[in-house]
Amino acid sequence: MVSQSELIKEARENGMELLPLDKDTYELFFGPQHMATENFSIILKMDGHRVVKAIANPGFLHRGFEKLAELRPWYTNIALLLRICVPEPDVPEMIYSMAVDELMGWEVPERAQWIRTTVLEMARVSAYLFWIMGLSFKLGVYTAGQWAAAYRERFMALFEELTGARVYHIYTIPGGVRRDIPGDKWLRQLKDTVEYIKSKLPDFDNLVFENYITHRRMEGIGVMDKKFALAEGVTGPNLRATGVPYDVRRMDPYLLYPELDFEVPVLKEGDALARALIRRYELEQDLYILEQLLEMGPPSGPYKVQDPRLKNLPRFKVPAGDAFAHVESTKGDFGAYVVSTGGNKPYRVQIRGPSIAHGIRVLEQLLVGARIADVPVILMSLDNCPPDIDR
Amino acid sequence: MEEIDFKVAPESKIKKRPSYIKPWLGLKYLFKKPVTIKIPYEKTQIAKNYRGFHSLDWKKCIGCNFCGQICPARAIEMTWIEVDGKVEKRPHPKIDYGRCTFCEFCVDVCPTGALGFVENFMLTTEWKDEELELFDWVPIHPDKLREINEKFPDYRFPVGKIEFNKETKEVTYYLRDGDVFKFKILGYGVRPPAAAKPKPAAPKAEEAKKVKKPEEKKGQKSEENSS
Ligand code: SF4
Ligand code: SF4
Repeated sequence: MVSQSELIKEARENGMELLPLDKDTYELFFGPQHMATENFSIILKMDGHRVVKAIANPGFLHRGFEKLAELRPWYTNIALLLRICVPEPDVPEMIYSMAVDELMGWEVPERAQWIRTTVLEMARVSAYLFWIMGLSFKLGVYTAGQWAAAYRERFMALFEELTGARVYHIYTIPGGVRRDIPGDKWLRQLKDTVEYIKSKLPDFDNLVFENYITHRRMEGIGVMDKKFALAEGVTGPNLRATGVPYDVRRMDPYLLYPELDFEVPVLKEGDALARALIRRYELEQDLYILEQLLEMGPPSGPYKVQDPRLKNLPRFKVPAGDAFAHVESTKGDFGAYVVSTGGNKPYRVQIRGPSIAHGIRVLEQLLVGARIADVPVILMSLDNCPPDIDR
Repeated sequence: MEEIDFKVAPESKIKKRPSYIKPWLGLKYLFKKPVTIKIPYEKTQIAKNYRGFHSLDWKKCIGCNFCGQICPARAIEMTWIEVDGKVEKRPHPKIDYGRCTFCEFCVDVCPTGALGFVENFMLTTEWKDEELELFDWVPIHPDKLREINEKFPDYRFPVGKIEFNKETKEVTYYLRDGDVFKFKILGYGVRPPAAAKPKPAAPKAEEAKKVKKPEEKKGQKSEENSS
């Protein structure tokens, strides 16, 4: 048996470096095929069942959207950029369209604004239902997950009727939307769906949010304090769970949000449970917003701007300049920075996904000291979305 | 931090009390009818304007390559075609469903309304090369598509098999209702191939239903993005 020090010496003589093994910890790889991580991986250094060090390892979904967007005409980019956020693909469309609207100096017609707000809220509700599904699967409450997926299906059907596709509804375009509302029948269906899901919310409470086991599972894990969250650029529900009342829809209102009445939930704890409860309350508020929007009814008028420049789409040019637009998504503050040099293609499109803040650095620090069973729960309570980290 | 002038929900509304008994209430769905659809026996209803496969009116298409320029996936390639020994005057788009994202921007942008879409969305093949030919086609006339859809209302691709003869460049569509449709591919790109004599005659823009455009004559050659 050769001793370790001898081996190290021998390696060094041959120009190699042999590092001593750390015999106290072991390395665990939560890879992209793991059910909890969704195309994302974390390298965990474990001591027993506690995490000593976590290294996030994203990049499995890097498709280079920002480079691709430089090579395509302005309109076409919609079909490309929405793939950055899978659970709510309307958000990247919306920010890009809003930024281009700003560059063009367009005043989006009222009907288009109403449709855009409705679509955003529908996307939020379906994304929250999707999140409930993910969380319950990770907690082991499969029943609630199946329900959430089934109710989300109703919104998918509505989207299908409105936009022609279920998930990637390439719908919002610069200057409005692509199709008008199919008619009163669709509005009635939306109303029914909202009411139906509202009546089903107590079921989710019973199974997930008021469950003793869930509370024990999530209480006090992944605690984030206010200062840390602000310094790391955490936004959205994760930030609100640390006691900061920040919501883009209120701080920097866009579309019809100033006219709508809703409450912003804020909690102080900053643990996984607080983040989950905040999302639960926002789902309720989003349904309430949809109700208000339906009560308002879509104003009449055109659903996109009338501009002679739109006649020749492939060579549609945008004046030089730059614009930034951001909206509140279910994951946080989603922003797009668009630079134009006056050509028929953008000079640069930068998308700032919210998960870039809470998915890497924050996650690495929250996982330190967590038990191995808490790793998927913390990951899901942050609502980490790998495609918008990698882009 | 600046002062807050919006409504913040009180904590009492957000917080929930844990309970031992409530989770059992989930059992109430045990005897309800499930919401699943038994797919081979029951049919789903697809929305009327579901974005599916394309249709192309070969008479209306003027070969302007607008669709090729707008396509985000660059799935459209202009193709010069010979049907029954007659060369089509203008190239027609050939769509590669391996890349198409079904955004239907090409349909929106088509100035003559030649390109359209139907609700069909099912196209499954095996890995064999001859079956993969199905993914690359010049769309057929919308009326024909609708006819096939009436016969087989299962939202499948209207062509059962596509044969491409590498030597003679002959393409054969075996449509699902038994018809066979043959044409030859002479070349690709916006510029006419040697086999098809260039015809500088005025384009038949009169066929255009919609607003006439000055750009659709020529001049997109410089901006071709395919090939
Ligand atoms: S845009 Fe329409 S007319 Fe022009 S090439 Fe494409 S299908 Fe033909
Ligand atoms: S529908 Fe397909 S072929 Fe048409 S523009 Fe979109 S990606 Fe291209």
